[in-house]
Amino acid sequence: MSEEVILSLNGLVIGYDHPLVKPITLDVHAGEIIAILGPSGIGKTTLIRTIAGLVRPLDGNFSLHVQRRGSLGYIPQRLGLVRHATVAHNVSLGARLSVGWSRTMFKDRKERTYEAIRTLGIEEKASEPVRRLSGGQQRRVATARTLAQRPRLMLADEFLGELDQTNVDIVLGAVHELVEDGTAVIMVEHHEDNAMDFATRIWEIQDGHFADMSVEEWTLSQPKGEEE
Amino acid sequence: MKYRLFGILFILFFLAWQTLDGLVEGDWGRLEGGLSNLAVFFEESMWPPNWSVLEARSYPVCEQDLEFFCSVGYLGMMETLKIAFVSTILGFIGAISLSSLAARNLMPLYISLPVRIFLSAVRSLPSLIWAILFVIVIGFGPLSGVLAMTFYTVGYLGKLQYEVFEGMPNDPLEAGRAMGLSRPSIVMNIVIPENSNHLLSQLMFMFEYNVRHGTVIGIVGAGGIGYYINTYLKFLQYDKVFALLILIFIVVVLIDLLSLAVRSFVNEEGDVRKPTWLNMLIQARKRRSKSGDIA
Repeated sequence: MSEEVILSLNGLVIGYDHPLVKPITLDVHAGEIIAILGPSGIGKTTLIRTIAGLVRPLDGNFSLHVQRRGSLGYIPQRLGLVRHATVAHNVSLGARLSVGWSRTMFKDRKERTYEAIRTLGIEEKASEPVRRLSGGQQRRVATARTLAQRPRLMLADEFLGELDQTNVDIVLGAVHELVEDGTAVIMVEHHEDNAMDFATRIWEIQDGHFADMSVEEWTLSQPKGEEE
Repeated sequence: MKYRLFGILFILFFLAWQTLDGLVEGDWGRLEGGLSNLAVFFEESMWPPNWSVLEARSYPVCEQDLEFFCSVGYLGMMETLKIAFVSTILGFIGAISLSSLAARNLMPLYISLPVRIFLSAVRSLPSLIWAILFVIVIGFGPLSGVLAMTFYTVGYLGKLQYEVFEGMPNDPLEAGRAMGLSRPSIVMNIVIPENSNHLLSQLMFMFEYNVRHGTVIGIVGAGGIGYYINTYLKFLQYDKVFALLILIFIVVVLIDLLSLAVRSFVNEEGDVRKPTWLNMLIQARKRRSKSGDIA
């Protein structure tokens, strides 16, 4: 983790009609992997969607300390893939944002697209429409799209849900590749065990309260009976 | 449940009947001689169809090897098909640009509302009225037909398209927006590919519709086979009109078959498969050999 601040939340209040959580103020640094934990319907997705710029904050604000366009990777709960288009087309949407205007632009985009596809092990499916793929393979496509984008901040909503261990390993391998390059990751996670494996920091939302802590602090805060 | 449905249908039929009775003011006597009139008209004026419409015209002199290519039927039909093709393509391009501006999930209200009103205004005039308008403005001929049908296509197809766009799932749009893709990029790379099967299906429907309506707009002088139909009607040559109507029917059936073949490539599980001509030939051959096996 570096000292570079990627995102600052300044008294951010999230919600649609009424506040879901008390004001949040904190910084997110490059290389951090944050898991958001908490029961269903408590505001985890709303928090992610607010940071993604899809929901307006009720109060306060957040600032992205990197260029807005192309620096934010987002994987929604339903993955947000173009289901009738091919795997390569979907992944190229990410590459489109990371490759600037140049004479070799199209070649670079293609290279970056196929590099991400290879990393996620879906090269055989590159010309298949996404809707023909299994749920696990679709998640790999969404990850490849973000990998090709090389964002500075990656937001993912219930990203690992219902994935088998092989797919979890492949997907998390790609995420770590991004983190090594200085990307900060914020993920909503339902499975606490998964969160313990990859996260460096935990945000817990419980009954309208927000807690920001390290994984060790979170482990200690859990009742002993539940830990086993 | 079954009886209730019959009951509703009976009430609707009764209401329609009452309305019709009101429209004709109870004067049903006119129907009495209708069938015999039709029989006499058909026998004396229309039958047999005059197939001279498929022979070369006397002027200008035919320079083709086959006389058919200089006939009124061929020339008129080809002009109608060309008008329909050009106006469908131009209309599609116009419609897709406007429909992406009219869709509420893609644009803010202050952009989508005026575009929707524009599309409604264009659509509210039938292609026949557009044709009359363009014939007045730029004169007789196929250009008036092309412009008339292009305008109507923009209005009609535009509405179909923005309704499809508004019905698409929201998550790809949100992902694109959050990632920082520009609006034109979202339309080109997310919206159009995601709805491509619907768009193709609508395009084929519109072409078929334009061929059918191409015959009607020809009647007001906007080119195509309708121009010849109108001329024959004026000279009471109903047998020639009948021959041209049969020709139109055959062409519409052929387009319908073609449209069915093209759509079969996109309908499989809703996936878009890009057919190549080679693919089509190979599949046709496979199908034939399969049916041969069965035989």
